[in-house]
Amino acid sequence: MFATDDTIVAIATPRGRSALGVVRLSGPQAAEIAATLLGHPGRLEARRATLGRIHRLGVSTATVDEVIATYFPAPHSYTGQALVEISAHGNPVILDTIVAEAVDAGSRLAKPGEFTLRAFLNGKRDLVQAEAVADLIEAATPLQARTAFDQLEGTLTARIAGIDQALFELIARLEASLDFPDEGYHFIEPTVVASEVRAVIEEIDVLLADGARGRVIRDGARVVLAGRPNVGKSSLFNRLHGSERAIVTDVAGTTRDLVTERVDLDGLAVELVDTAGWCESVDAIEREGVARGTSARSTADVTLVVIDLGEVLTVEDRELLTATSRQQRLIVGNKCDLPAAIAPEVDVRVSARTGAGLDALRAAIVRGLTGRESLRDAAAVSNERHLELMRRARASLVAACDAVESAGAPEEFVLADLQAGRASFDEIVGRRTSDDVLRHIFERFCIGK
Amino acid sequence: MIFDVIVIGAGHAGAEAAFAAARLGCSVGLCTLSRDTVALMPCNPAIGGTAKGHLVREIDALGGLMGRAIDATGIQFKMLNRSRGPAVWSPRAQADKRRYGAWMCEALGAEPAITWLIGKAGSVLHEHGRVVGLAMEDSDRHDCRALVVTTGTFLNGLVHVGSEQQPAGRRGEPPARALAHSIQSLGFEVGRLKTGTPPRLSARSIDFDRAVTSGAFREEHGDETPAAFSFMATTQPANTIRCWQLHTNTAVHELVRAHIDDSPLYNGQIQGIGPRYCPSLEDKVMQFPDRERHQIHLEPEGLDVDEIYVNGLSMSLPCEVQQELVRALPGLGDAEMLRSGYAVEYDFVQPTELRSSLEAWRLGGLFLAGQINGTSGYEEAAAQGLLAGINAARAVRGEDALTLARDEAYIGILVDDLVTRGCLEPYRMFTSRAERRLLLRTDNADLRLTPHGRRVGLVDDARWDRFTTRRTRYKKNLRMIQNKQLSVGSGSVFAAERLRQPGVSLAALVASGELPFRSIPQDRALDISSVETTVKYAGYLKQEVACAARVRRDERRQIPDGFPFARVPGLSREVVDRLSQTRPETLGQASRVPGITPAAVAVLGAYLGKLFPCSAGASARADAR
Repeated sequence: MFATDDTIVAIATPRGRSALGVVRLSGPQAAEIAATLLGHPGRLEARRATLGRIHRLGVSTATVDEVIATYFPAPHSYTGQALVEISAHGNPVILDTIVAEAVDAGSRLAKPGEFTLRAFLNGKRDLVQAEAVADLIEAATPLQARTAFDQLEGTLTARIAGIDQALFELIARLEASLDFPDEGYHFIEPTVVASEVRAVIEEIDVLLADGARGRVIRDGARVVLAGRPNVGKSSLFNRLHGSERAIVTDVAGTTRDLVTERVDLDGLAVELVDTAGWCESVDAIEREGVARGTSARSTADVTLVVIDLGEVLTVEDRELLTATSRQQRLIVGNKCDLPAAIAPEVDVRVSARTGAGLDALRAAIVRGLTGRESLRDAAAVSNERHLELMRRARASLVAACDAVESAGAPEEFVLADLQAGRASFDEIVGRRTSDDVLRHIFERFCIGK
Repeated sequence: MIFDVIVIGAGHAGAEAAFAAARLGCSVGLCTLSRDTVALMPCNPAIGGTAKGHLVREIDALGGLMGRAIDATGIQFKMLNRSRGPAVWSPRAQADKRRYGAWMCEALGAEPAITWLIGKAGSVLHEHGRVVGLAMEDSDRHDCRALVVTTGTFLNGLVHVGSEQQPAGRRGEPPARALAHSIQSLGFEVGRLKTGTPPRLSARSIDFDRAVTSGAFREEHGDETPAAFSFMATTQPANTIRCWQLHTNTAVHELVRAHIDDSPLYNGQIQGIGPRYCPSLEDKVMQFPDRERHQIHLEPEGLDVDEIYVNGLSMSLPCEVQQELVRALPGLGDAEMLRSGYAVEYDFVQPTELRSSLEAWRLGGLFLAGQINGTSGYEEAAAQGLLAGINAARAVRGEDALTLARDEAYIGILVDDLVTRGCLEPYRMFTSRAERRLLLRTDNADLRLTPHGRRVGLVDDARWDRFTTRRTRYKKNLRMIQNKQLSVGSGSVFAAERLRQPGVSLAALVASGELPFRSIPQDRALDISSVETTVKYAGYLKQEVACAARVRRDERRQIPDGFPFARVPGLSREVVDRLSQTRPETLGQASRVPGITPAAVAVLGAYLGKLFPCSAGASARADAR
């Protein structure tokens, strides 16, 4: 996988029919292979769109398609190698044939993420940025895209560089105090060391807190609707989704299976799940539906417990409220447009019929998931690998603080902790990493990137 | 006759090289200008210091001379960094210069395999890419199978005092010009460095007691219980002198500023690059204008000599300015200058020209050690000399080279830094150069290295016996502390746990009779120190060992001799150039070559993996040698 001496090829656009489809070639022979495919004499001109026809190899009459090829010479390309993009018509049959021709002409099918891996290996991107490319492609909401793009642009890289610099300077001063013991002026008081390390820890904490939000942005969240039959869960589901996806009737127990849809909730990619009404039932199908609803709740990031404001709380309502009391939940009072029969404690009052209170509900969900009112800002950290390494760095720095303060450990031991903390940050941006980590990271990519 | 090994130079590097090669069974020719300058200390009269003290302990653990020499001739001993942790405790001692040289000369003279070749080395003789001998300037010729060059500052040496320039290796000694030419004509990349030394004062002209009473000087004494450098020491070394500390003042700084244009360092006369960590007085004053004073130490050069070394006052101002300047210092109003300070410029060979064995890539059988490789310091020189001597002998006998890993010895770090990174300024050892500093302590240098010394044949039976009993004691003591329960109040606690609590010392536990600790009087401090550190910091040490093991994977991935870096696809031309020039021997070394990105290392690793799957790399290398 880490070989970069051969030329790789892959379709860079999604499978399916579209106006255009792009085949990408990267490697030392990219330009030659592309020229062969196009029947073009000599090399393609750099960074110029060249019109040509692709034929089956050696058969000039068997035209595959008319295409535009653009050649980016090394090192000024996405991968840092010679790279050619061939735009053809977006038909899988045509694109597959072009790839097959390219393989016949001496290239190899790319593995997932191999183009970006080459960009990383050639120093075009650091690891954070390479990972952001994958996130950017997978982004489902504008906020996800912005978060990924910020990381691609290097905002996280810059913040890590700031922390790294602070640690580096502290380490350098401590080292100086060890290496030049005669010259007393290099000495740093332990309290100063501790307070400087703590400042760095605080900075990491900001990133980690931000990361909790970032993870929700990047990975999305699961929101499950629960309630006894006929309180209006499916109506609420349709309101939040903006469609008539779930069947709504006046008949209690209309929803029997889980209904799942992806919803963009103020920028959050939310998986919204409608469940069967919570009740004691003798009907086998209904019982299975209830069981599925219970299991869905157990994996929910937030459960919306819906109750009917027009009716007195039933035994089922109370059971459900008790059952969800330890979960992250919102109690949603529906049918607020009707005369209220009760005034129970609810978090949000809505009317699925009129749409009243829906914005407040959305805001409450976002707040429940991220701890913030709105998500206008992209998050600096969103990747679990980064968060895990930051937590590890934090643990090293806390150990350094403890070593200084309570144990009164000598400087070289404090330094060992500080160095370990710094090493974790190095690993985030890929300055120091093992083949395994790289392989793991790059396996996530879709082919062609 | 054909010598197995000829060593050029009998300074700190040359002495160790000649001794090691002779002890390994080689016939050795030791070429020096005079037997009076063996192991000379042309600069400060001291051995050890931070990280340098570690080097001396390692040299001793391997069976070298330096530790025993300073124990025998030291006159004031101090353990530096005592208030810090055990990993940075570093012994340092003032030496009686004359006795130190004499001790070394005698040690070398006692080796029957060493033949003195008194005279001036001329040129390196070679045939078919291998060293075959040494031609002297007087045209005598000596054949040899391996040649160790340790010329210090002699290659095209040029001494500066004010505007005076004099070709000299050291003040008053002729430089090596023919040899410099010979080495250059072999095609080595040669650079120019500078170093300096302060003036020497006459002790008789200084009233130390009065200066102390008036507050101008502060007396400096050795440790109350001085520690020896050598693992073979049987007695405690003695402190027999005092030193003094004083500070420069604004009058001195004014004088430097007024005469700065006369300093060859500042008027462009000196081109060579000096050490940043040991700045000249001119640099201190000009580069740190805000500092009102700088530390100076007065150090006697011996028991019965008049010379006082003025530590911290290295300079190359004109002679009369130096005299004036000295007398402007507090307490030195009547001081008489015996010799002025000076700067010396000299050629060095970029050490990236060398393998990890210190053998030159371009000429088989040629080994370089000491300042010729861009280092500064007696200890750094001796460490390289020892390794070069061992490896010259091993090369002659057709054995593979002794190389020490970075997580195993400061000597390993020293050599690895030199051959992978080269030198831009004189290289000095620091503890911060060690990634796994906690493992590289002075208290375990023998545990780390004496087995290596034994394997190559440098450790004699006496040292090996003492070492193995000490190692057995160490292991038994460790086991005892891990298993022994101590009663605390009504309950009990494991001794190891007790020892890990802040403020609890092993010495106190042993003294109280609570622990059946095994030791012998002359090794008691050492035994306690290594056991205590191992137990007290077990968590840290375990982590360090784990880190070291991870890194070792790359260190084990060999890059064969003559590896075609240019043929590795995906490496930029700059990276290829650097790698081809440096010729790293392992993937780990490649990762430390300046300008080599992790991505380049990944590409190189992948390519190596394809060419030499699994461990085939190692055998390919062995074949190529």
